[in-house]
Amino acid sequence: MSKGRYRLLPYQTGLLVTLVGAWQVTTQRGWVDPFFFSTPSAIGTRVAEWFVQGSIYRHLWTTTLETVLAFLTGAGLGVVFGFAFARSPILSGIFDPYLKIANALPRVVLAPIFTLWFGLGILSKVAFGVTLVFFIVFFNTYQGIREVETGLLNNARMLGATERDLVRHVLLPSAMVWILSSLHTSVGLALVGAVVGEYLGSGRGLGYIIAQAEGTFDTTGVFAGMTVLAAFTLVVDLLVTLVERRLLAWKPAAAHAERA
Amino acid sequence: MTPAEGASPALAFDAVSRHFALPGGAAYPAIEGVSFAVGLGEFLAIVGPTGCGKSTILSLAAGLLRPTSGRILTFSAPLEKINRHAAYLFQQDVLLPWKTALENVMLGPLLHRWPPGRARDEARRWLSRVGLSGFESRFPHQLSGGMRKRVALAQSLIVGPAILLMDEPFSALDAQTRELMENDLLRLWQEDRKTIVFVTHDLEEAIALSDRVLVLAAGPATRVIGAHPVDLPRPRDVTEVRLHPGFRHIYQTIWAQLRGEVLRAYAAQGRVSATEGGA
Repeated sequence: MSKGRYRLLPYQTGLLVTLVGAWQVTTQRGWVDPFFFSTPSAIGTRVAEWFVQGSIYRHLWTTTLETVLAFLTGAGLGVVFGFAFARSPILSGIFDPYLKIANALPRVVLAPIFTLWFGLGILSKVAFGVTLVFFIVFFNTYQGIREVETGLLNNARMLGATERDLVRHVLLPSAMVWILSSLHTSVGLALVGAVVGEYLGSGRGLGYIIAQAEGTFDTTGVFAGMTVLAAFTLVVDLLVTLVERRLLAWKPAAAHAERA
Repeated sequence: MTPAEGASPALAFDAVSRHFALPGGAAYPAIEGVSFAVGLGEFLAIVGPTGCGKSTILSLAAGLLRPTSGRILTFSAPLEKINRHAAYLFQQDVLLPWKTALENVMLGPLLHRWPPGRARDEARRWLSRVGLSGFESRFPHQLSGGMRKRVALAQSLIVGPAILLMDEPFSALDAQTRELMENDLLRLWQEDRKTIVFVTHDLEEAIALSDRVLVLAAGPATRVIGAHPVDLPRPRDVTEVRLHPGFRHIYQTIWAQLRGEVLRAYAAQGRVSATEGGA
């Protein structure tokens, strides 16, 4: 599989070089207006400036902090509620329609309200990210606990497990499989929450940089912001893959690939 | 070997019935008025046609199910919760997939609040007793079906249960692995003479392993219709014992009784699948 991936590497690089090259040439020759499309060399220079002058780091830090806090809070709440609902049919019965409504609501509309409630600082972005992450983790925890095989539970009971032991040794690990399999989505959404929140109103972060550049018709700044954001997302995704590989080491390879 | 007369049995069913609620609200009688006793250190096999409630009997003995009526005694005490004297070897794979072989075997000891060091040492010892030294850090999916059964066996036996309940434990294994496992089971049993209740639909397996074979009627409302002592010499080898002249004789006696029930079960199943599309 990985052999095939490397086999395609020259073509992938070729595609990138061609596209960026065409962009560079057409904007440089004036065939396409660089005011609207900027040029790859200007974007590269801008990104390099940000890192050399160090102005980008506090924005990266803010976005990272918001992402991490949104993920941890959202995932924590999702696990607690998912667990409680899976174990209590009455609770899930009462809340079911409201959860469905809340989940169906496009969460972006909440961002302005959170800005009103929590201000322009990181708190409003964390709150926004939480509403995105919570439902993913909640539904996966719920499912993971509901779908535990009765055989595993009965076996643990026969081996002497109390109800609390069952939670620790069977139910939570079983839910972890589901939660981890959705880790890429939930971490990605935490990042989306942070950036969108910053974009809509803030004083710091990658979303803020993009919004600022856009406000002054600085297309180079917008593209440079997008470039940094894309690279940042790739790094986050890579970290998630590493965590996942470590925590799901016990899974057979085929099933693992299926979930990824 | 026959159980000592007068000694209290390890497990006793006294007119036990168990009904299940059907989706329509009617009650399905899985077993009806089942009575039998298993002596201390006895290897009892229970045979019966498919769907006759064999697993129900084991679940009742384990305390995972409550009887609808009748009494279950274990060492003369009525069984009210999970049977703490018993270990259960399930038909399906029930090892925790996220724990290694060693951690799976350690589970029982840790749940019994043994010190972790002792649990680990004992688990290693048990893995080597079932022939799996060197496989401690493998996860279940990295082991073959037979190896998983061995881990499950070690997992059940490590906490020293007095009674071992086995629900067609080897039915999913290939013939050779199965014979190896059967011989290993006999060897382990010979060493510490636990009380074993072994449920199977394979009459040859039942005779080769056990001291006594109970025959169940076809379901629903299964009851015990026969008990046949197996007086073949021990220690046994499951392959060789099949060639023993006594083996054929016992087989024919029990089969004469079982055959009619198997046919009844198939006939009933045919009716069910014709009307409902499978039981």
